[in-house]
Amino acid sequence: MSRATRRRIGKGIQIALLVLFSVWTLAPIVWIVLSSVLPQAALTSTPPDIAIENFTLDNYRGIFGEDSELLIGLKNSAIVATLTALVSIALGSAAAYALARLSVPGGNRILLLVLATQMFPGIVVIIPLFIVLSRVGLTDTHLGLIIVYLSFVLPIVIWVMKGFFESIPVALERAAAVDGASTLQTFRLVVLPIAIPPLFATGVFAFIEAWNEFFFAVIIAQTNAKTAPVVLAEFSGQYVSLFGQMVAAAVVASIPVVVLAIVFRRFILRGFAEGAVKG
Amino acid sequence: MAEIELIGVEKRYGDVVVCSDVNLHIGDGEFLTLLGPSGCGKTTTLNMTAGLDEVTAGEIRMNGQVVNDLTPFERDVAMVFQNYALYPHMTVADNIGFTLKLRKFKKDEIKRRVDDVAEVLELSHVLDRLPRELSGGQQQRVALGRAVIRQPQVFLFDEPFSNLDAALRMRMRVEVKAMHQRLGITSIFVTHDQEEALSLSDRIAIMNGGKIEQIGTPEDVYSRPCSTYVARFIGSPQMDIMVGSIEDRGGRATYSVGSTSFEIPAGAAPSTHGAVDLGVRSEHIRIGQGGTPLKVIVVQPLGSETYVTLGDADLTFNLTARVPGMARYTPGDLLDVSFDPEGLLFFDRESGRRIEADGALA
Amino acid sequence: MPALIVMAAVLVFPIAMSIVVSFFETTTSDFGFNEFVGIDNYTKIFADEIFQTAVRHTIYWMVAEVIVVVAASVGVALLLNTNVGRPAIFRIILLVPWALSPVANAVLWKWIYNANYGILNYLLMAFGIVDEPQIWLGDERFALNALLLAEIWKSIPFIALLMLAGMRNVPNILYRAARLDGASTWQTFRHITLPQLRTTILICVVLQSIWALKSFDLIYVLTRGGPIDATTMLNYLSYRISFQFGDIGLGAAVADILFVFMFVLALGYLRFLQSPENRRTA
Repeated sequence: MSRATRRRIGKGIQIALLVLFSVWTLAPIVWIVLSSVLPQAALTSTPPDIAIENFTLDNYRGIFGEDSELLIGLKNSAIVATLTALVSIALGSAAAYALARLSVPGGNRILLLVLATQMFPGIVVIIPLFIVLSRVGLTDTHLGLIIVYLSFVLPIVIWVMKGFFESIPVALERAAAVDGASTLQTFRLVVLPIAIPPLFATGVFAFIEAWNEFFFAVIIAQTNAKTAPVVLAEFSGQYVSLFGQMVAAAVVASIPVVVLAIVFRRFILRGFAEGAVKG
Repeated sequence: MAEIELIGVEKRYGDVVVCSDVNLHIGDGEFLTLLGPSGCGKTTTLNMTAGLDEVTAGEIRMNGQVVNDLTPFERDVAMVFQNYALYPHMTVADNIGFTLKLRKFKKDEIKRRVDDVAEVLELSHVLDRLPRELSGGQQQRVALGRAVIRQPQVFLFDEPFSNLDAALRMRMRVEVKAMHQRLGITSIFVTHDQEEALSLSDRIAIMNGGKIEQIGTPEDVYSRPCSTYVARFIGSPQMDIMVGSIEDRGGRATYSVGSTSFEIPAGAAPSTHGAVDLGVRSEHIRIGQGGTPLKVIVVQPLGSETYVTLGDADLTFNLTARVPGMARYTPGDLLDVSFDPEGLLFFDRESGRRIEADGALA
Repeated sequence: MPALIVMAAVLVFPIAMSIVVSFFETTTSDFGFNEFVGIDNYTKIFADEIFQTAVRHTIYWMVAEVIVVVAASVGVALLLNTNVGRPAIFRIILLVPWALSPVANAVLWKWIYNANYGILNYLLMAFGIVDEPQIWLGDERFALNALLLAEIWKSIPFIALLMLAGMRNVPNILYRAARLDGASTWQTFRHITLPQLRTTILICVVLQSIWALKSFDLIYVLTRGGPIDATTMLNYLSYRISFQFGDIGLGAAVADILFVFMFVLALGYLRFLQSPENRRTA
């Protein structure tokens, strides 16, 4: 076989595998989105009737009807996720900057801490947490959820931001000192503007984590503060037969985070994927 | 304008001593270079002078006033950093004008001054670009511009040319020298490139292991190095230093190394004899004018001149001579070698110090 | 560093408390430490048949998930690291399942696995692979693997992105050198890519194992541990005992066993990660 043919065959195999990979990854998504715009009758016929003239937004109207639980859930999720993101980047970046620039004893152990927070089965944390939160009256509140989420998002934010701050040459801050900038001016005018992309990345990450979290939410926020995933889980239990509405709710609950992930993909990929690999 | 004094300055991190007993006096308007290999403490000395690193012992004075506790801003120094340290998110104009902005200058005043500096440094057409869109030479000039704009008391340069290619380095050398001649601002320049040091400086301080080994004019350190360390560090090709001894052969001093011996011209030998090292710079090695026959080992034609490396039969030592033009020698040729009397430098073997004509150590 | 101390406290306190709780009889009705029962909770749970089943399921789940996800991710990353796979669109595709809320993922698969109207049964019957609709989530033969498939589908993207980042860190010059040395595609993968990816793969194995042990959302939404405990794993078991049966002491005992298991696992990985041999290749 000539080199050219072999290369062409190799490329053919690559393309075939890529198609396979794309179908495997996208088919479930396409199917759920498609199902969400089909009426019940079309979904329950065999084969499913996916004709374009059947498309309808009835399912969406259904889930956003009067006293929409989902709407409350979305609102709660938005509040909790936004505040978690803002607080974690504010506290996290300050702590990370300190860790990166001052030689804090044990500062290098932050990775261990990150691993540790990942390692704790939620179930170990939840029991004492539940007891403490109910003593101070924070169960089923936004604040309670935010505190819980911060406890596992913060270490990750600090870890990523620390890696970033360490990659900023110290000479830049020294140049600012020579130019006459105070410590605060250096941070505000030189370090912070450079740090905006990774701050966004970590903020988006924190938002997604808080938005999607289910385990803690279902235990400590059952009624007033219940988030979108909790409502969605209830939905799938209650309206077992309203398939269209069930999947429409899943689509709605996913859109904000999926859109965020795609819009900020560059930041996320650079900030996290590469940060994690460098360890 | 400022006069700077470093008196017994020391820097240590815990048990690690980076600099110790550094004493320097830099006159008003002088251009002084700190020269040495990496890790010799030259950048630390510069940073302490700038006020970026704290001094653990000793005093730094500017115009007679102790400045140990002053910030870089209060010392009114400007600095050019090794990797330029340009603010990546600011345009060229903002980079150059940042220090004026911090000093609350009016916008149009900043613009006027930035334009002036940019014109001198040929940056006018790139003022709106970001640093990453510039060539290495342009980035370097922005770093210079950032230092020049405030007309500081002192310029500090931390290996500013180390990221440039050879041709650009030459051009920047000219620019920095011209700038110093024009503005006459006291400057301290750190480099590990001896040629850069020789070509720019009024005086050079050669550092070794955190201490100053020798301070002097380029002429001093080149022609009268105080030790083998300085002798080897300055000059290209590197000075050849032979490990032999001075012997008295019937009233005439000779230098023997291995089975080879050279005649020492009258008056060139120090009063002490015995085991000492002998160093000769390449331009003081004469070829084909009588003397000791040596074998040609390697020939390197460089265009305007040719380096000829010669050695004895056992290769116990070798010497590199400099011959004008494209000399045609072949490895294996035997050539007569002798030395210029003024070019012979004798060093004490144990301490490495140079031995003066009267036998004292430099 | 006060922040570190606070975080350490936030981490150490629950563990300590959880261990203390496991030695008491405690219920959700009052959260009081009613009666010190020593290791009774532990002896009780070790003798429990459901616990033993859950341990088996947990180990199977973790091993299968880690192997499939890590292997598939290496494959996906290799594919995306070729010229054909380089366009950003493929990485965007990967981000969708990653960002998707786990509960939404569960709902998605609930619909796909639906016994009457699910697309899976339809497709399998259309291709003649099964003769009649299967109750995927209600059949103890299938339920665990059905959950596993849903979990793997969602887990691959992030791990694949990590692998891809790891591959991008391999200096290109190594591949050129290998080509000059006459290495085949497979030999290049075996002798350049894999050794260079060693640390990345280890990190991925650690993370994925931990995440596998923590699986909860899928089980909660799809099966609640059923049918007949076919999908009950330690994490879910602890939740059920604590918050549905209200026996917090016993639930904490299960949680602590799970924690010790994770801890030992993580320590083992860390030792491996820091072994001199690994440091040399890393």
